[in-house]
Amino acid sequence: MAKVKQKKERTFLQDLLNFQGSLNGKSQFLDKVRLKGAEGVRNTPFPTKKLEDWKYISLRDLYRDSYELASELDVEVPDFSEHYLPESEQSRLVFINGSYSEAHSTTEALPDDVTIGNIAQLAAEDNELLKEHLNTYAQNNFEDDVFTAFNSAFLKDGAFIHVPEGKTVDTPIHLLNIQTDAEEHYFATPRTVIAAEQDSEVTVIEDHIGLADNKYFNLPVVEVNLEEGAHVKHTKIQRDSRKAIHIARTAAFVAKHADYESYTITRGAKLSRNEPRISQRDEEVEFTVDGLVLIDGDQVSDTHSVMDHRFSHAESHQLHKCVINGKAHSVFNGKIFVQRDAQKIDSFQENRNLLLSRKGLVNTKPQLEIFADDVVCTHGATVGQLEQDELFYLKSRGLNEQQARELLIYAFALETIENISVDSVQELLAEEVRNFTKRQLDSELAV
Amino acid sequence: MLEIKDLHVCVEEDGTEILKGVNLTINEGEVHAIMGPNGSGKSTLSKVVAGHEAYEVTQGDILFEGESILELEADERAHLGLFLAFQYPVEVPGVTNKNLLRQAYNTIAQEQGREELDPLQFEDYAKEKLDLIKMKPEFIERSVNAGFSGGEKKRNEIFQMAVLDPKISFLDETDSGLDIDALKTVANGINQIADDDNAVVMVTHYQRILDYITPDHVHVMIDGEIAKSGDKDLAIKLEEQGYDWLIEPATASVNGEQQ
Repeated sequence: MAKVKQKKERTFLQDLLNFQGSLNGKSQFLDKVRLKGAEGVRNTPFPTKKLEDWKYISLRDLYRDSYELASELDVEVPDFSEHYLPESEQSRLVFINGSYSEAHSTTEALPDDVTIGNIAQLAAEDNELLKEHLNTYAQNNFEDDVFTAFNSAFLKDGAFIHVPEGKTVDTPIHLLNIQTDAEEHYFATPRTVIAAEQDSEVTVIEDHIGLADNKYFNLPVVEVNLEEGAHVKHTKIQRDSRKAIHIARTAAFVAKHADYESYTITRGAKLSRNEPRISQRDEEVEFTVDGLVLIDGDQVSDTHSVMDHRFSHAESHQLHKCVINGKAHSVFNGKIFVQRDAQKIDSFQENRNLLLSRKGLVNTKPQLEIFADDVVCTHGATVGQLEQDELFYLKSRGLNEQQARELLIYAFALETIENISVDSVQELLAEEVRNFTKRQLDSELAV
Repeated sequence: MLEIKDLHVCVEEDGTEILKGVNLTINEGEVHAIMGPNGSGKSTLSKVVAGHEAYEVTQGDILFEGESILELEADERAHLGLFLAFQYPVEVPGVTNKNLLRQAYNTIAQEQGREELDPLQFEDYAKEKLDLIKMKPEFIERSVNAGFSGGEKKRNEIFQMAVLDPKISFLDETDSGLDIDALKTVANGINQIADDDNAVVMVTHYQRILDYITPDHVHVMIDGEIAKSGDKDLAIKLEEQGYDWLIEPATASVNGEQQ
């Protein structure tokens, strides 16, 4: 990635480093991670619009506002059990405003040899697996990224999942990140690590939910490592508060014969930036990085992805669909790299946008950089509207405008959610699509 | 049942006039065929009756059971009992035939004050109708028209017609793209649906389907007007002689002739 000289912008985020040390003292290992992160924040300027990769969105709100580290949780929490997944009744880790909630978490359904728990606790126990994996992958794929460094500098807690060799975990694991309005202007830096050993299999639902309508800054970093033959299904649902800022990084490494399936649903936050970077570690891998974005009002959603094909025989798939209404703004930049010796790559990338309003905005840039000569890479981007003929067809069957639009938007979105293996997640996403459609119709009627 | 009076219609976007004074009366129990060359306005007529928003009625009226329906939306017309079988049915992936049709059926039932059906009742009801077009029960579980062959799409239109049980149906080139066996099946289905209480209007290029469905009235549309009306013999004459003999200055004087 090209480096551009940048004037160092002073943000409150750097000032926060003064308070970073208060987290230290419970685990030497975490202290080191934080120290390294703090160094990164000191040495790396926060990005501005002058950078090619950040030119479509403004982070001014983030830089000029002030956020504090969320305090330890001792507040009354509203009942959020409606967000529990029936498949994960006994396999759930809950974090409230960035702090682990033991009372809401349970991992009873999971096999004993699966290591699962919150990072702070495992670090306090000096867990060797945690030390082996934590920050290894994020550090590697986001070396120059100030937000990843910031997450490290303030690493307080998060989820750690280690699946041993040959183990198939049938029960999906639900990572529930709840944000309440007990505090305003706080930031959370949840870290998630999924380490899947050889021939293991696991399904993880990473869920971000804002219960209220408050301002906060959510900066999750997810690290996924797949050893030979491992299969990880990772679904991320982002339903943060509509005033929140959500900046997320996912670093995934895929070894031989491994299969990483990732689906990211973006529904919440005022501003969200999602950056999955998937790297091939060996030949013959498969990975999927599909996404669905549903935004309206003044929401901004930006996805910058990197699919890095470093070895031969990879099959990769990225279908990124966006439905945009109101004055919402969707950005997509999907980079596909095929390195020089990576032959026989079969890569598919498509960004499809359904623009429902005149004031909505779409910037899309599929990007291929291919240095090998024997590859099949297809990529494309479309921006369209609901077709009058399609609406007419459904209305002529007796469906009213709302029912017809609902069906067509659902039909548009479906392709990105129908492969998610957890039934209740599919259902709740179908419901999200319906709610989104209703909402946009209501707002139109209100105008 | 349906009266079309001196109907003038243009394309809303560019003002091109397509229908230039169409008169047509359709009564209960009747089967009509509207024939005519490409671009004569046959398809436009059926879309306008169904309420397509791309067209603007500049003159005349459409009365359904004595009331003008020009101000009604497409769905409101469907609620009254109008149906259009599309020439190019739309694909709706992810929505099963069953779900779409149950929603449609119940919406119409609600508007007409009839009893709504729950999923199980509806499934039984819909499966009975499948026999009409000789399709297997799995057909209702498939996504609406998604990946259907041309013939399947046309059958699906007739299936939808059977399920929704409209008072008057316009079938826009339902016969095109069908092989002879499918044509017989579809025609047979239409014959079974048509009864004394409803009406069917077939819009078609060819006389072919009329070998299987005998129309009470045949109309020839040329350049936005009904140039000639007659009985099934007119269709046979058209098959033998084409449309040329009608595309003459005589057109104007025949306009307005009622059957």
